[in-house]
Amino acid sequence: MARWGMVIDLDKCTGCQACSIACKSENNVPFGSPEENTRRITSYWHKVIAASEGEYPAVNIEMIPMPCMHCDNPPCVMVCPAKATYAREDGIVMQNFRRCIGCKYCIAACPYGVRNYNYKDQTEQEYNMPDLPPDRSVIGPWPYPHRSHGVVEKCTFCFHRIDAGLKEGKKIGVDVVPACVDACPTRARAFGDLDDTDSEVSRLLAARGSFVLREEKGTRPKVHYLSK
Amino acid sequence: MFPKNNRKKAADSATEKSQGLVVSRRTFIGVLAGVGATLAASRFWKPRAGVASELDLDKPPYGTVTEKWISTSCLNCPTRCAIKVRVTNDNAVRIIGNPLAKVSEGETCPRSHVGLQVLYDPDRVHSPLKRTNSLKGKGVDPRWAPISWEQALDEIANRLKSLRTKGEPYKLLFFQGLNTISTEDLIGRFASAYGTPNTISGDGLDDEADKAGEWMADGRFTQSAYDLENTNYILAFGANITESQKPLARNLRMWGKIRRERPNRAKVVVIDPRYSVTAAKADQWIPIRPGADGALALAIAHVIITEGLYDEDFLEKWTAGFTEYKELVLSKYNPENAAAVTGVSAGLIRDIAREFAKTKPAIAWRGRGATSWPDGSYTSYAIFCLNALVGSIDVPGGVIYQEYPSYKDMPPVVEDSVAKAGKTQPRVDLSKSVKFIAAGVVTNQVADSILESKPYPAEIAIGFNSNFNMSAPGTGRWAEAMAKLPYYIHVAPSLMEMGQYADIVLPACTFLEEWAYDHCPPGSGFAEAKIKQPVVKPLGESRFIGDIIFELARRVGSSVSQSFAGIGDNAEGFVKYRTSVFISWTDFCDRGVWVGSAYEYKKYGSIFRTPSRKFEFVSGNMAAVLSQSGKYSGDKLDSMPHYTDAKFLGDESKYPLMLVTYQPTLVIENGNQNYPWAQEIFMVMHGQGWSNFAEINRETAKTLGVSDMDMVWVESTFGKMKARARVFEGIHPGVVAIARGQGHYADGRWANGMGVNPNDIIGVDYDYLSGQSTFFNTRVKVYRA
Amino acid sequence: MAADFVAIEGRSRNYYLAVVILAALVFFGFFCFGWSYFEGHQVFGSSNVIPWGMPIVLAIYLIGLSAGSLILSSLTYVFGRMEYKSIARMAVYLAIVLIFGAMISIAVDLGRPEKFWRLFMFFYLNNMTSMFAINGILYGGYFVISLVYFGFILAGQQTATKIMGTVAVLWAVLVHMGTGAIFGFVAARDAWFSPIKPFEFLAAALTSGMALLIVVTVLVLKLTGRDIKKDMINSLGRMLAIFIIVLALLIFIDKLTHVYEPAREATIYMLFGPSSWIFWILQVGLVVVVPLVILFHPRWGKSIGGIVLASLSVVVGVFFERYYLVIPGAAYPMPLYPGHIEGVYGAVGLFPIQWAEMGLSLGIFTLLGLMFMVGLKYLETLSPKELVEQPVNSPVESPATAAQQSS
Repeated sequence: MARWGMVIDLDKCTGCQACSIACKSENNVPFGSPEENTRRITSYWHKVIAASEGEYPAVNIEMIPMPCMHCDNPPCVMVCPAKATYAREDGIVMQNFRRCIGCKYCIAACPYGVRNYNYKDQTEQEYNMPDLPPDRSVIGPWPYPHRSHGVVEKCTFCFHRIDAGLKEGKKIGVDVVPACVDACPTRARAFGDLDDTDSEVSRLLAARGSFVLREEKGTRPKVHYLSK
Repeated sequence: MFPKNNRKKAADSATEKSQGLVVSRRTFIGVLAGVGATLAASRFWKPRAGVASELDLDKPPYGTVTEKWISTSCLNCPTRCAIKVRVTNDNAVRIIGNPLAKVSEGETCPRSHVGLQVLYDPDRVHSPLKRTNSLKGKGVDPRWAPISWEQALDEIANRLKSLRTKGEPYKLLFFQGLNTISTEDLIGRFASAYGTPNTISGDGLDDEADKAGEWMADGRFTQSAYDLENTNYILAFGANITESQKPLARNLRMWGKIRRERPNRAKVVVIDPRYSVTAAKADQWIPIRPGADGALALAIAHVIITEGLYDEDFLEKWTAGFTEYKELVLSKYNPENAAAVTGVSAGLIRDIAREFAKTKPAIAWRGRGATSWPDGSYTSYAIFCLNALVGSIDVPGGVIYQEYPSYKDMPPVVEDSVAKAGKTQPRVDLSKSVKFIAAGVVTNQVADSILESKPYPAEIAIGFNSNFNMSAPGTGRWAEAMAKLPYYIHVAPSLMEMGQYADIVLPACTFLEEWAYDHCPPGSGFAEAKIKQPVVKPLGESRFIGDIIFELARRVGSSVSQSFAGIGDNAEGFVKYRTSVFISWTDFCDRGVWVGSAYEYKKYGSIFRTPSRKFEFVSGNMAAVLSQSGKYSGDKLDSMPHYTDAKFLGDESKYPLMLVTYQPTLVIENGNQNYPWAQEIFMVMHGQGWSNFAEINRETAKTLGVSDMDMVWVESTFGKMKARARVFEGIHPGVVAIARGQGHYADGRWANGMGVNPNDIIGVDYDYLSGQSTFFNTRVKVYRA
Repeated sequence: MAADFVAIEGRSRNYYLAVVILAALVFFGFFCFGWSYFEGHQVFGSSNVIPWGMPIVLAIYLIGLSAGSLILSSLTYVFGRMEYKSIARMAVYLAIVLIFGAMISIAVDLGRPEKFWRLFMFFYLNNMTSMFAINGILYGGYFVISLVYFGFILAGQQTATKIMGTVAVLWAVLVHMGTGAIFGFVAARDAWFSPIKPFEFLAAALTSGMALLIVVTVLVLKLTGRDIKKDMINSLGRMLAIFIIVLALLIFIDKLTHVYEPAREATIYMLFGPSSWIFWILQVGLVVVVPLVILFHPRWGKSIGGIVLASLSVVVGVFFERYYLVIPGAAYPMPLYPGHIEGVYGAVGLFPIQWAEMGLSLGIFTLLGLMFMVGLKYLETLSPKELVEQPVNSPVESPATAAQQSS
């Protein structure tokens, strides 16, 4: 089984945030209002944070694109009481809305702050896709044509693309990549099988110095960053 | 586990049954119960569900879904990237780059995705509107009344006809915001046939000084194209390559390429008073005193010349006036003097100069930050000359010369005597006049011309997607001018600020519903044409801009309607007609792009459009224009790159800080900002959205007693505004920076009241040579609100 | 023994008035809950930074009170300390009411409260590595055990009571440590992550439970016109003092370990940040300083008024301890990347006071009050008025208290 991972090259990245917007567009992630943004109750499956160091003129600001890290040791899966969040065999950490009870324990436990709680019902927009990724649209005990409020959601590595691509026999990481990887105009992001030494991600990781975020937490993220 | 046991039980029971034994009632019930329990359990039980069970791709979750991918192109900035739009059930749901496009290699910038929100903006206008309140002004309710297209077009056509009958066609003004190339062509043709010289684009607010710099050197009034792909060194003077320089998507793509997709990684040095996103991503940031870029460029030239690092071969063969230039630079611009002006140490200037000259090929890239200044043309010229010094002209990795698609020629415009007479009138923006001798368009002058009725009073204006009320410095003048204008027709998908002064509003299509052809601003070198075709039916009653122009032409009649005959008759037909020379129509619609032949370098024999047919350090074109206008003083300095101390508006003792503006990536350049996806992550470096800030250096903030996120007044001699302060390390201590794009007051629900518009307090000044409005020479003071 | 306890009459005008007011507030709380259910948790103050708000504060607070109170009852029924007998039944009933309140609080904090049952599908739909799922067993079991225990007490089954009491006490210890583990085992949040948290929770539970019991005992006995046995209150007060000292030590050690380690920003923020007054004044002040000063004061420490005041201070203070842990404890931004994270992603979390959340919290409190009052009326939890029990000798009792009591 593949172990999907992502490599983000911070030297190529220009902080343009195409990834963040493409993610919103691909996954129907609702947008918020200024007040909701300040209160941090808007959903971002993907965000770009800016970390600054130093004083003028020796200032340095790093812009770090942050999807879900899809940890090999996911603390969120550990703490979810309802099996709503789980790791697939290919390592993608998923969220099942039907099982999620909305206790927010996973939000507390995630060291990367990538989990989002639906603080309100999503308003329907014309550009909301009619064919949502199935995990969010199956009619369950609570029929959610769109995501309801009161459940936690997160980046899925665009599993719907991967699964569809596998079924059609396409090469994942080459022909089929998550929306953020697809949208990156500098091609700073690569996606593929971390266990496959021939994959682009493995080659990139072998060629250059890389790091993961909050390594000390022992979560073993599958999103790696190539340093400048 | 419970469910597994059940499964087992069910399976056992089934086996029992298959053995052909008499099925007792108990077994039967057992089987039923077991199967039932298993089914029930499997509903919940997905232990580490495998990929296959996760996704039932054969069954769409609800309803039937029709899916189409339509090739078209973006218009959220002038780069006009080729895109593909996914349309399901007649809704546009997703935008991606068109992989066949070569300019950006199939990539798009973040703005392209926002196209969906441009299309489905809930605050769009859906039917023609007529003003019923004769009073015009900022904050005055126009009291719109919806009218029919017939009525609207008739009323406009009658007005246009009567102006022509009066023999005053030149009193018709066209305001152009961000439009497709085909719309621009149609507007130009309409204006020409009608008889007005007054097509006012927004270029005078953008990069006219950049263009004038290149024009002086090689006779091309254009922004420069750079062969980014092959360059090894970029020296960016106030150019936000990865934020706002066009063509952005290509810049971004090439950025990735030059950093890590080839063995040698290009070095980027950014010279900017503000730590821009480009500076953050560059290898070196050199904070410079605003307005001193010209001095720095000339000092770099000084070092290159004194140390003999220039490209002797190129200079000898293909340039003129180097001796004079050398003399001037050596006598006046040594690094020590420049250090005093720019605040960059002489040692650093020498280091950069050496690095720039020795790393080949290298590019000196000028941007608005360096050139939107009084005498910005000369700064632009000075920076552009650095490229020639190191031989980076029309070589791989240097400055290149953009080719454009050659669309099928239109028959000549039919001009009657009224049209001919009208076009001899001076332009209302005074371009090419004594005031703006070499200008193409002086957008910001129009407001004053309308207010002063000079050179003649304007009667009618038609604005296509224009919103100068937001984008031009001195917004108050625009409010007054638009209120004074007797008749204004606003053609755009949404009203915006300028639409508030309209007498008639015509709801135009957004770029996703429109027929058009387009191409990029300079950047790629080779030519590329893109199609725009409707991905969904126009929303509401909105119409293609092309159709509106054709319809108006028909109704105005005479030479105008004759000029519009035989060129396709409507928007779609026009696009078909003009692009028929490339590839077949179905192929063009299908592929979305047509790419010209690969770029050829070193065309030195043909690229220089100067009197000497060479790259000129003493501009012959400039000298000619000067003498034509009677301004020629005999001083050669006027046609040479030189630096004069930046002139500021406002007294330094009263207004100690310099106001600098910039454009973040997520400013959608159609004049509207009503797009939540762009708004909520508007300022990536500040981790904030939905606003902009008055960014000040921490030390400066300390002396002003301002802390982060305080409300402050930013005051210039032209006005004051209340903004949120952002105390920031990445900014020159003498500077306040405010991002453009916010501060709308008559836009939509997601833009109104967010942040401030720095143009409200920026004074009106020009680079008089090119007509470029200056954006950076206003002095301000900041104090707590 | 069987006739030792009676129910209150509950026919006075004041009783009915109190019931009506409480019921109205409960109804308002229910309305708030409905509002949040249909509008989403945007009507609460929580966010993706501070995921939990007042309901969780209430939950862990009420659990603490509950188990403290249950452990108290065990002194009589398990350890045979008869001097506490007069309040023992009430203590058990209070424990049941409080754990019920805690579970209600958790339920209303869920985004999809209709899926509350999923928390109790142990080993089947639950992921048993989750402290929530484990606590589901602990809380559920605790609720059942308490009910059975109370049943045996009411039925006068002495042996069974003793066994159930023992089980209940041990279980209560687990409940607290489990609750502490919810926070203490979260490695992502530096201010929470600590092996001491379960023990701190246990100590806090004992302290607050004891304090609440003192307050409620005195209040109920006073309001229903019964005698207050001073030596009993005194000995409870002394026990309270010991618990407070233990709790203070644990808090001290907890903070010390966090400040000592290099990743100390979050704890520094909690100790000295803009909302640190909650910690110093409301938590340290009300839980430790004020009660200890009162309890060790030669005169105040012996007076019922003083002890009740000290207890009240603890009850309020422990509430703020919970508040401070759950809300400001989660507010400090996580160090996602070295350096200062700009903007909202690096900002300290906001927790706006929202009426729906406050109404809901009030509703839960009043619901418990209502249940307690109704329980007093219909269950025999109080010792009868006319019965004056002989003081039973106890090791902690001194001649001085005996003398005071007789006066």
